[in-house]
Amino acid sequence: MKSRSAQLSLTIVCFVLGLLLVAQFRTQRVTSRTLLSASSADQFVIASSLVENNARLREEMEALEEQLGEYQQATGRAVLEALVEELNKVRIINGLVEVSGFGVEVSIDGPIGVLDIQDLINELRNAGAEALTINGERLTLYSVIASTEDGVMIVNGMKLSRPYILQAIGQPEALETALLRRGGLIATLERNYDGLAVSVIKRERMVLPVYKGAIEFVYASPIE
Amino acid sequence: MPGIEHESGALAINRLEAEQEELKESIGRMREQLDKYRRELAANTGMLKEISAELERQKMMAGLLAVEGSGVQVILDDSSLRSVSGTADSNDFLIHEYDLRDVINLLWMAGSEAIAVNDERIVATTSIYCVGSTVMVNDTRVSPPYLIQAVGNPVAQEDVLRNPAYLKEFKRKAELYGVQFEVNRIRMLTLPAYKGGFPIHYARLGD
Repeated sequence: MKSRSAQLSLTIVCFVLGLLLVAQFRTQRVTSRTLLSASSADQFVIASSLVENNARLREEMEALEEQLGEYQQATGRAVLEALVEELNKVRIINGLVEVSGFGVEVSIDGPIGVLDIQDLINELRNAGAEALTINGERLTLYSVIASTEDGVMIVNGMKLSRPYILQAIGQPEALETALLRRGGLIATLERNYDGLAVSVIKRERMVLPVYKGAIEFVYASPIE
Repeated sequence: MPGIEHESGALAINRLEAEQEELKESIGRMREQLDKYRRELAANTGMLKEISAELERQKMMAGLLAVEGSGVQVILDDSSLRSVSGTADSNDFLIHEYDLRDVINLLWMAGSEAIAVNDERIVATTSIYCVGSTVMVNDTRVSPPYLIQAVGNPVAQEDVLRNPAYLKEFKRKAELYGVQFEVNRIRMLTLPAYKGGFPIHYARLGD
């Protein structure tokens, strides 16, 4: 009984498979036959509609090609790059990014006043300093150099201790010459203050930190 | 031979269908590519907007935008008593470039948000120096009377300027030799934008 039932199921499986194969064969035959069995007139209609459709597809493809070309010109990207470049420059000016470069380092020890330091900074700016720090405090347009009543210098709200180290990024020779020229500011300061020790060293590479303060506009608003 | 013609007609259709298939595939690919570009552009446009806004903010800080607001107007002028000078140093009758610097520094200390001298906007790279008796601001010649305009809190600004602890030498000059020093609060000042350049040749971003 067991073997018979097994035989029977095998037969059924074969029968089903056979049917499936025939069905598949038929489908194939039917497809190719439709084309062959179609009349020449029908074939003509099919072909011409295909030709028409392909022409439309080609048109669509050309339009897409054109659009792609426009995007690939990437004018938006060029604008973006120019904007980023300008932004970075203004950020350097505002002291809101870390910068590095050539320059000079001025070390000052001894009795010296706030106004003298301001004059020194003015001199460095005049000689083309692009970024400045004093004792690691980045100097911005809004930086205030002040002093407490007992003469402790305060920059960006931070107390500084001596010696004062000014770092300026810019053309080293121009900066050095501006400071050390005969009858220049450092010569004048040295004449005015006893025991003032000033040195100016050209540096190949300095890294100046960002300004840590915040600038908010309460009273000023842009016009337009 | 209609049979052969018939057969070639079918072949032509097959060929056209194959071509159609290829065209459709290409179009599909191109549409995908376009969508990718469109999304990228949208992202760029978003970034463009953000960067433009940030640039405006930074330009405001740098003094590259004309501004308006309350503040003070300070007038500094050489003394008209110059000719009467007998024993005093003639320098005591004049406004010097360091006088301008000191007043400007005080104005920053008082929380000013924008400053201009004779319509030259003070920026981070500004130096105020003299060539002979001529004062230069942003490498532009300015002559007396010097009009310093500063946008900020007028009360705070005036308090600092009038504080006897500051500008001692200068105030002495004003008192003894007639150098002019006038401070006025103004409800609405208009300051021009900085029109010079910011040459950056040595400083590089980051380390």
